[in-house]
Amino acid sequence: MLEVKNLYAGYGIVPVIEDVTLSVNAGEILLIGGENGAGKSTLMGAIAGFNKPTAGEVLLEGQPLHGLAPEKVAKSGLRLVLDGHRVFPELSVYDNLRMGAAARRGDRSGLSAAIDEIYEVFPILKEKHRAYARDLSGGQQQMLALGQAFVAQPKVLLCDEPSMGLAQALLPPILSFLRRWAEAGTAVVIVEQHLQVTAPYADRAMIIERGTVKLECPAAELDDRLKSLETPEGAA
Amino acid sequence: MQTPADASPASGKPRFNSDLSQVWIGIALIAITGFGPSLIGNSYWVHTFQLVNIYIAVSIFQNFLFVDAGQKSFGQGVILGLGAYVTAIFFGLHEYTFLVAAMFGLLAATLGGLLFALPALRVQYFHLGFVTLSAAIVFPQLLMSLDSWTNGINGILVKLPWWHEEWVFGLSPLTIAVALYPMLALGIHYGIRRSRLGRQMRVAAVSPEAARTLGIKPGVMRFLAFIIAAIGTGIAGILFLPTVGFVSPQGFNVELSFVFFFAVVVGGRGQMLGPIIGIWIVFILPNIALAAFVEYRLLIYGVLTLATVMLFPDGIVGSVERWRLKRGVSGRGEQSFRIDAFLEELKGKDGFEPTDEIAIELKGATKRFGAVVAVDHVDLKVRKGEIHGLIGANGSGKTSLLNVLSGLSRVNDGAFFINGRDATRLSADRIANLGLGRTFQTPRIFPMFSLWDNLKVGEDARTGKASPEIHALSKALEAEFAQDNAELLSHGQRRLAEVMRSMLKEAEIVLFDEPAAGLSSSERKNFAKLVRFLSRQLGKTVIIVEHDLDLVWNVADTITVMEQGAIVAAGDPQTIAHDPAVQHMFVGGRGA
Amino acid sequence: MLSEILIIVVRGIAIGSIFAMIAMSFNIVHGATGILNFAQGNMLVLGAFGAFFLANGAALGIWLPMLLVTGVIIAAVLAFQGWLTLIPLRSSVQQDSWIISTVAVSVIVGALIMIYQGPFAYNVKGPAPYFRVLGVRTPGAYGLAIGCMLFWFFAMRFFSRKTFIGLAISALSQDFDAARAAGLPVRRLQLIAFAISGLMIGTAGFLVAPVISVSADAGLRYVLNGFVAAVVGGIGSNLGTLIGGPLVGVVAMLTAYKIGGAYQDLASLLVLVGILMLRPQGLFGRTSARRV
Repeated sequence: MLEVKNLYAGYGIVPVIEDVTLSVNAGEILLIGGENGAGKSTLMGAIAGFNKPTAGEVLLEGQPLHGLAPEKVAKSGLRLVLDGHRVFPELSVYDNLRMGAAARRGDRSGLSAAIDEIYEVFPILKEKHRAYARDLSGGQQQMLALGQAFVAQPKVLLCDEPSMGLAQALLPPILSFLRRWAEAGTAVVIVEQHLQVTAPYADRAMIIERGTVKLECPAAELDDRLKSLETPEGAA
Repeated sequence: MQTPADASPASGKPRFNSDLSQVWIGIALIAITGFGPSLIGNSYWVHTFQLVNIYIAVSIFQNFLFVDAGQKSFGQGVILGLGAYVTAIFFGLHEYTFLVAAMFGLLAATLGGLLFALPALRVQYFHLGFVTLSAAIVFPQLLMSLDSWTNGINGILVKLPWWHEEWVFGLSPLTIAVALYPMLALGIHYGIRRSRLGRQMRVAAVSPEAARTLGIKPGVMRFLAFIIAAIGTGIAGILFLPTVGFVSPQGFNVELSFVFFFAVVVGGRGQMLGPIIGIWIVFILPNIALAAFVEYRLLIYGVLTLATVMLFPDGIVGSVERWRLKRGVSGRGEQSFRIDAFLEELKGKDGFEPTDEIAIELKGATKRFGAVVAVDHVDLKVRKGEIHGLIGANGSGKTSLLNVLSGLSRVNDGAFFINGRDATRLSADRIANLGLGRTFQTPRIFPMFSLWDNLKVGEDARTGKASPEIHALSKALEAEFAQDNAELLSHGQRRLAEVMRSMLKEAEIVLFDEPAAGLSSSERKNFAKLVRFLSRQLGKTVIIVEHDLDLVWNVADTITVMEQGAIVAAGDPQTIAHDPAVQHMFVGGRGA
Repeated sequence: MLSEILIIVVRGIAIGSIFAMIAMSFNIVHGATGILNFAQGNMLVLGAFGAFFLANGAALGIWLPMLLVTGVIIAAVLAFQGWLTLIPLRSSVQQDSWIISTVAVSVIVGALIMIYQGPFAYNVKGPAPYFRVLGVRTPGAYGLAIGCMLFWFFAMRFFSRKTFIGLAISALSQDFDAARAAGLPVRRLQLIAFAISGLMIGTAGFLVAPVISVSADAGLRYVLNGFVAAVVGGIGSNLGTLIGGPLVGVVAMLTAYKIGGAYQDLASLLVLVGILMLRPQGLFGRTSARRV
């Protein structure tokens, strides 16, 4: 579904991502881990059009996406959920969900069905559907941000650090929602630091270190692979 | 002793900036157009260029205000008018001597500048554009309606024969004065630009928050810039009077202010030659060369300016200058900014150790942004001379805490102390002057400065006298980097440049905000060395916010862990590494 | 005495509602793009010229459709200006070129009016008859101005809270990157915001043509008073303009009656400097959230 080939990207003159290649199929979750500052968010931004890659390709179902503006990328079926549970604070919960329809391909008739589905998964959003998004907790805002993406029914979902700024206990319901979403035929990429919590929900995993891919393996093997990689340098 | 400067002297490099050459070309151009017509006895061009040269002087100050101080004023015509009109009132209507009248004129112009400058203390950006534009609209209205003082629509006619007497070669005192004044204005602009004040103004214009962490008050810089420009423009106003011999409200309408502003844009913002070329095009072209179409002149100003913004935003001189820079100055590759050799020189008393004195202390500090608590009742002590690592997930409040410490944001509750002194309510510039320095996540490099000037703004921010070692260091750096283009530095080198800046500032406490982000692994190693050098060789206190845990564990004496705005663990690296609150931060149990 | 106060207040509010409409037309563009259009005053004057050329003294049957025609023409002009203004912002690092380009457009429009119409003020006769407020004879266009302000206030309120495009434009002002990630067509929305501000200011100019100075040099004075109204109310707050506009209008009228008509703009300037010194964020403005 999504293929990234030999991607190089950065901010201004700062090179951050070097020669990253990855692919995700419909129906699976790829977990991308790595320390903060390793370049995960830059990678997401480069795929979604926020910063122009200096080299390499991003293909969605074989169609090139690199060089497109972010709103065009979203429209063609690749939706990035930014880190930091960013929603539109001065819009109501319902209107935030409605904004998701901007990236929806084709008809808008299924919109209310999709919104109802979100309300079913996260009843709190239904309860607060008239409240301003700024009055939600961080976890609820993350649910809302995901809900907004869900409404668009993208082919590929990129989810940048869903855990940022949330209490860890809030993570499992969000992750199981992503799991079900993927199983319905969407290609999902989750960027996360909290690997132990996230790995069980993912199919494959990849670790980025200092802008390059350090390892790639089935998610179930991640723990063992990381232990074997452990370097003496890391211990103080 | 072989210094690095001896090894590769700066001479022979192409000049980084052409300000000085532009000043000399400008002076030559003004001299030719100012004196030339008198020498050949063409009185039409004598008069034309007298006025043109006054307008050039006004545009030079507009250029200074626009670029060096970052202030867009649409009201410089008002200041010129105040100088001219008030002089005319006292000289022409009340029969004071010209000198006394001119003093009143200058005073009035300065007061007018004050009207612009006062709001500049509080606000910036487009607000001041509207304030100055308002003034430009109101001014001629006032000249009309205050007719008991100004003679209203009839204007004031003055006779100043002495100014027009020809001395030698057909040159009158007026011709000489109005030719010398714009030259002087160029010199003043250049002089300010090369001075500490000028550098601080430009830093404040480009990055107010970086300026504040260097002890600069951006509001005061804007205020001063308006006052300086007003004095310079007021003197031009005084010279306007003998040149034209007549003032009337229509002569100082908003169109005049637009001429000065547009001249700077068309000529090239910030270029020394810009105002000269700009006035020639914007003023001479429609008023003289195309005199038959004089009613179209406003249209011509507008179209020229719009076309400049759309097609070549650097203006005419700016475009030429950019072409020169592209062709002439080249980078020196990855190794262009190395500081190891310079640091060797500095090696002072070996073996500083963290002391038990407290450099920074936070008590119950809380910072809220709306409903979000970014810093939540934080108690923290940083010992003098230690390297203190601050870690935590994204959004855990580290940068917010750093912003509180450097005074860029204020705590809602709690207190904090620097060297035992209450700094809770101090502004960022005051805190900087207490000996604090910081770096930013994206290094603040100022592209209009050479590499050395980028470092020198640190020296400018120093409060006391330089220690001899630092003085020697700065001399060596100047010799090496005075003509280098800072924009060609890699990210890692920019980071080093910021560190060097804080060393020249002789900050006793240095805050690093995610310094290793974007550095290569060898750069990270060097950076770790540098941090240790700062602490152990120079005795600085270092607080470092960083995601690269290897780096933090490598250098830190104490580590504090934050989560959701609160401190969840603190202690020495070994203890912290085994703290369960920290375990999950490591990818796969590393560091445990 | 009482009637004088009444005249000052009624006319002040009416003139102020013109300022409020300029301020509202600032707000929508500023929210979507960060730009404050210095040419907005001349656009108001262009709208008034629409009334002069298309519907001077015309009956209601012609006047009403011409109101719409003028609004649409000015909307198209503004959309074109917006397109021009946004071009350099796409690539350049200098994000403040709009200050120069909108001032240049303002000068160009003013110069064109001057070239084709000369420096005179034009009289426009509208269809609205005089009416009496507590016995004071008041030109009908004053009523139209106040009505127009209220209409646009509620129309914008509905637009930005109920319609998809309106919500999307406010979303743009709240979180630009999140809006792009959500696939909102940013450029198109920005041009729509420009067009709406043109529709607003074009119809306002058409309606108030009988009571404003329809001349080449009037535009700058209106844009400044509109800016003062926006700053008093707090830039971005339409509710604030309902207070700020009439307040500036009443101050201007008070000055005109008590000191002299020539001092109206001076009074506005002093209000502007005063509010910037004392409360730069305006009456209803919020202090901006965290940056760095």
